Amino acid sequence: MIEAIKLRILQGDPIIHDVRNVSLPQLFRGLPVIAEKECPAGCSSCINACPTNAIKLNPVSIDLGLCVFCPLCEEVCPEKIIHFSNDYHLASDSREKLNVTQKTKTITPEKASAKIISYFGKSLKLRQISTGGCSGCELELNALSNVNFDLGRYGIDFVASPRHADGIVITGPMTQNMSRATEICYEAIPNPKIIILFGACSISGGIFQSSSQTERKFLKENKIDLFIPGCPPHPLTFINGLLDWLDRK
Amino acid sequence: MMSLKVQNNQLFHIDEISFHNKNTFHENVFEALSKDFRMIGLFPIDAKIPHRIIALLADLHTSFIHIVGGEFPKEQLEFESFANDYPHTNYFECELAENNGFAILDHPWLRPVRKQNVINGDEKYNFYKLEGDEVHEVAVGPIHAGIIEPGHFRFQCHGELVYHLEINLGYQHRGVEKEMLNAKPAQRIILSESIAGDTVIGHTYAHCSAIESLANISTSLRAQVIRSIAEEIERVAMHLSGLGGVANDIGLAIVSASYGRLRTLMINSLAALCGSRSGRGLFVYGGVRYDFNEETIKKIIANLEVVKKDVTEINNFLFSSTGALTRFDGTGKVKKDVAKQVGMVGIAARACGIEIDARINTPYGAYRYFPVSLITLPTGDVFARARLRALEIDESLHFIFEQIKNLPEGKLCEHTLSGKVESVITEPNSGVISIVEGWRGEVIHASFTDANGKIVQYKIKDPSFNNWYGLSLALREIAISDFPLCNKSFDLSYAGHDL
Repeated sequence: MIEAIKLRILQGDPIIHDVRNVSLPQLFRGLPVIAEKECPAGCSSCINACPTNAIKLNPVSIDLGLCVFCPLCEEVCPEKIIHFSNDYHLASDSREKLNVTQKTKTITPEKASAKIISYFGKSLKLRQISTGGCSGCELELNALSNVNFDLGRYGIDFVASPRHADGIVITGPMTQNMSRATEICYEAIPNPKIIILFGACSISGGIFQSSSQTERKFLKENKIDLFIPGCPPHPLTFINGLLDWLDRK
Repeated sequence: MMSLKVQNNQLFHIDEISFHNKNTFHENVFEALSKDFRMIGLFPIDAKIPHRIIALLADLHTSFIHIVGGEFPKEQLEFESFANDYPHTNYFECELAENNGFAILDHPWLRPVRKQNVINGDEKYNFYKLEGDEVHEVAVGPIHAGIIEPGHFRFQCHGELVYHLEINLGYQHRGVEKEMLNAKPAQRIILSESIAGDTVIGHTYAHCSAIESLANISTSLRAQVIRSIAEEIERVAMHLSGLGGVANDIGLAIVSASYGRLRTLMINSLAALCGSRSGRGLFVYGGVRYDFNEETIKKIIANLEVVKKDVTEINNFLFSSTGALTRFDGTGKVKKDVAKQVGMVGIAARACGIEIDARINTPYGAYRYFPVSLITLPTGDVFARARLRALEIDESLHFIFEQIKNLPEGKLCEHTLSGKVESVITEPNSGVISIVEGWRGEVIHASFTDANGKIVQYKIKDPSFNNWYGLSLALREIAISDFPLCNKSFDLSYAGHDL
């Protein structure tokens, strides 16, 4: 018993008290900032370098639903127009808002409807489904419950059964072999229910967008409530996205 | 024996491989297996030409990999199974049957690897089934309780005792190997980072080594050391995560939470180096993208010192707790000869007393100059698999401390700026086999080019491919309630297996 208490003392105070304003390492690649400069004539270096076709020119824009946050576009741009800042506030309630342009200063999801907030504002139980996720996203979702992020303090938890859940969090590009299981799981969740997409793979297919082994019908046919971009997204992106969406402090 | 002998990461010409007819191919592979060589691959050398295949056979004692080629009549893709004499080859044969339409004659148990309804045509695959009055079946998955990848488990039970567990995977199949063939060089690295998100460094290291060999790119000693430091950080982080999982499964919350805190320090160390907690973005062809500077070294050493000090206390608590030891001792035991027969690798194999570690058997990169110690334990149970990981944490921390304080001079990237990866030109008609010891075990990437230097075959083998069957055997004649604990002690990847 005394040994266990010693371990508890050793833990110290590892929790992140203010999840809203954490300063992540300078190298962390979060919200891209696109400088208000002209591209050199005929240059398409960033488009050629991008592994997931996330960039468009005239004007320069980056689709964070596709972006895997590798630093290639930043590296190849001769005018240093693209720079990944360490801003981790990236969650959005709409797919369109993930399109970052020169004008984008920050991304915040709109508040959920009054009905959703009254149902889930203080208690939200989620069921996670991995549909071809490589385990990168799964590790970060697991990290949400550790002593640093402690998601449970906000009344948000991951549960084992869809019957106990208020919504699903999907990771992975939705493989053919998981598409039916995902539908069955979603059907098992009582109404009202929400869908959250976690990571580039689930939002757009990401690096697997051209794979013949995916079947994304479920994602097209259902309304998505929250998009969490990243490869994998940082746990803080998820926490802040949910807190904003549920209109929590 | 007629085979081509190569070493880890050695470039070879396709013409050096002789492709035998069916009988000679069979004789040669059989001879290699009888010499205690281990099959590590069996696939066509060009994904589009299924009738020309190669078998890769690793000789642990000499560090050589033997390549035996076979050319079959197009209309008669078949050979006698090796699995009745050498069981570990069975899953490679299943994969060949599923991917390339081979008929494996006299195969003991042909079953799906990643795709259902392929081996038996459109017929549904029937699970192995026990019959009897008090026998019952438990089916679990693909969706499990908790945040975990999908897989289907069929337990054949008598009361609480498990007689057989069949593991049916493929739910995560994204077609990584096929995507590799069509991908641009810049996409290939991102793909490798997404083979198994818990082994980002392991897989990307194997991929970069393979392409660097094919394109005659060398890496500086400094880059090699940085790669190895990253690999060891990943190893420590995942070992901490695994120990936390094992502690959680026996209800030791404080221990689990403590390991979790230390894991955060390890992955944040990776983030300090390259911006990503899982180490994405660190690797480029020819070296690494990011360097250590005084500030990051200071930060990482501070993190490591906390881990080193605290992990000793946590380990002492866990491994002296009677409650924990009662659950660990003798649970999920795999005997050494059985583990060898089914071809287990990595931590699961070392916990059965098998001396296998790619950093030592087929050394690569910095491990050629700065070797690590091989650690094994004899008992093959949950205790050994957990304890081994605790011991490996100490060894890895020691390696990182040594290397980070004495970083050799050198350029980060010898060949090309990372942004200009399109200029990586792979040799025509060549091949390479690259082996890396990821935290879970040997990660193998094999790549082959055609006359134009285009990559026409890319095969990946995650250690999970070998070890899932080991988990099945570990479950024999133990209580079904011990499954979560055994599963966590093996800590296998679904995505790495399913590709």
